[in-house]
Amino acid sequence: MKNPHLKPPRSRIRYVSARFQGPAVLAFAAIIATGGAIFWKLVDSEFQRVFLHAAIRGHYAFDSAYDIVRDLLASHLAGLFVGVFLAGSLLVLLLVAYTRRGIGKAVASLRASADGDLSTPTGTGPVGEFDRFGKKIDTARSDTLASVLKIRSEAAALAAGGISPEEFRLRWDELKHRIRRVAP
Amino acid sequence: MSGPEAAGNGPLIHRRYVFGFLLRLGINFAGGVGILFVILFLALSRPLPGDYAGTFHALRNLSPFLRPILAVSVLVYALLACGSTTALCVYVLHKVAGPLYRMEMVLDQYRSGAHTRTVSFRNGDQIQELAEAVNMWIGTLRRDRQRWLATMMNAERHCLQDEATCRAEMEVALRKVAEDMARYH
Repeated sequence: MKNPHLKPPRSRIRYVSARFQGPAVLAFAAIIATGGAIFWKLVDSEFQRVFLHAAIRGHYAFDSAYDIVRDLLASHLAGLFVGVFLAGSLLVLLLVAYTRRGIGKAVASLRASADGDLSTPTGTGPVGEFDRFGKKIDTARSDTLASVLKIRSEAAALAAGGISPEEFRLRWDELKHRIRRVAP
Repeated sequence: MSGPEAAGNGPLIHRRYVFGFLLRLGINFAGGVGILFVILFLALSRPLPGDYAGTFHALRNLSPFLRPILAVSVLVYALLACGSTTALCVYVLHKVAGPLYRMEMVLDQYRSGAHTRTVSFRNGDQIQELAEAVNMWIGTLRRDRQRWLATMMNAERHCLQDEATCRAEMEVALRKVAEDMARYH
């Protein structure tokens, strides 16, 4: 079980997981940028048309350019908010579903491990943070399984007999030592 | 929203957490749109001249500047909204990323052979089920380990008697341990 190359990691708090929070931040930024670009294109063409029309028409009772486009601006801003919020909400729901799926599989795999199944892959998914996490769980499980199988075969070999008392005692003590290292 | 619940226990991600995220996101986007409105209002609210010619020229002269004004306002909106959304994501998603990171550390610690303590998350952290599942797995392994050792130590007690009995009891104990380990596959 013990791997001398793997030292216990130092305990520290990390606030950003680039693999998990990074893609989410980029997706939100893409939604905001897309919303802004659409808003800009729509508002630009409509404002140009409205101001031209107002200038040519000549008779109006507006104090400022804002008064001319007030309703148009309000509707476009509302559209921008609704569009970006709906897309953002959809992304949140996808993120939650993705997390639930990945963690749900990891939890199921750990529960199966408690029942003795250490070989069925976790299957958290092919990409992303949860895949890496699933692989870590699988590595820990396979290490445990290898250790248990080794102890089991050694126990079976010792139980089969045909070993000198001195060697038996030596291997018995070694076996106990190995068992003590299971789940320290 | 709260499911699927792992093995019928608590939800992996609480409904309150999701609604809180959506609410904060809504406030954040509304703030961005509000800032965009303020910029455009300030840019377009300059009073128009009273006469026809002055108004005509003011509106005609506005057209060339409209595109840069809109571009700058949308850029400011995008930068502010992206900045605040990034901060929000880092803060809110840390309730998932933090426990995940913690679990990775626990698994690394377990593999290194160091003593693994019972895992517990902070108040408000999501995916609590994961900690319970890890604790359950390691707990089961530890109970099994204790049982195997107890079986072997029980056999060792017979060594106070003669050598043959001791050896026979030890072999019985080893067979028991091997049989018990057969559940792991």
